[in-house]
Amino acid sequence: MSCRAIREQFDERLDGRLARSQEAAFDAHVAACPDCRPEWRAYAGAWEIIERQAGIEPSFGFVERTLRRLDEQPTVGRSWFWQPSVRWVTLAAAVVALSVGGWAERERRQERRQAELYAHVQQADYLEDFDVIANLDQIEGGNHL
Amino acid sequence: MTPSDSDVALMLRVRDGDADAFRELVERHQRAVINTIHRAIGDAWEAEDLAQRVFLQVYRSAKRYQPTAKFTTWLFTITRNTILNEHRRRSRHAAESLEALQDPADPESTGWQAPDTTSPDPAQEVIESELKKKIMEAVQELPEAQRTAVILCRYEGLSYEEIAQVLRCSVSATKSLLHRARLTLKEKLRGYYQ
Repeated sequence: MSCRAIREQFDERLDGRLARSQEAAFDAHVAACPDCRPEWRAYAGAWEIIERQAGIEPSFGFVERTLRRLDEQPTVGRSWFWQPSVRWVTLAAAVVALSVGGWAERERRQERRQAELYAHVQQADYLEDFDVIANLDQIEGGNHL
Repeated sequence: MTPSDSDVALMLRVRDGDADAFRELVERHQRAVINTIHRAIGDAWEAEDLAQRVFLQVYRSAKRYQPTAKFTTWLFTITRNTILNEHRRRSRHAAESLEALQDPADPESTGWQAPDTTSPDPAQEVIESELKKKIMEAVQELPEAQRTAVILCRYEGLSYEEIAQVLRCSVSATKSLLHRARLTLKEKLRGYYQ
């Protein structure tokens, strides 16, 4: 087996994932190879040594304190409002309400615009009449000349 | 019944509002959760606070719990998310905990005592303490995904497949993370191993 193939098996050897025959071939190569042996020792050594980092113990009363914090929380699950089905129905209702509101507002605006336009047209007729009357004076005046 | 099966059974009882089952789950997994967080953030007091948050999250999520995966995989996923949130919160607020004012890699400075496995020889104790500090630093300085993979693999004994589930990546990506982490650890701890 080549050195490269052996080094690709470093992780599997460390994690005990090699088959027994592969493991024997690996160990034989590493024992005999002056290049792979120090590499393997360093690789495996660092992995072995980090296990020496002992864990900490939970402080006294950890479980009780956790359960006490639980009492400050809402009961299992959330309030009915946060149930997914209720949330979706609420969201859908909000979308419908917004759509209907938007449509009604648009209709109202359109009616208002039409009323304004009508009023404008009415006013324009009046002004037109007014102009005609004013011009009539001038025309009449002209006629006097 | 395997521990995994009984975890699922307990969790299903928690789902039905059984407080005793929840207590049992906390008792069973408190050490693993606290240590996973402690190894990731290096702060023993905050590790306990965050571990409590993890368990509260477990309780709150109980209604939605589906026993599709191993319970511990789910638990470590919540633990990882909690750690990530804590890192985000810290970087946002640049908050300095009491621990941050002390040496984060020094377990002694937190007032916490690891089990006494050292020899009575003071010189040996100093060497051991220095080594532990160095290991803590080396692990904490790894990128997040590599660090989580190392903690779950080395300290919690999770399989590649379980780690992949927690990290939400493929098994081959998990192997690659572990490989890169080991190469880094090899360099950083050179001189500390025989």
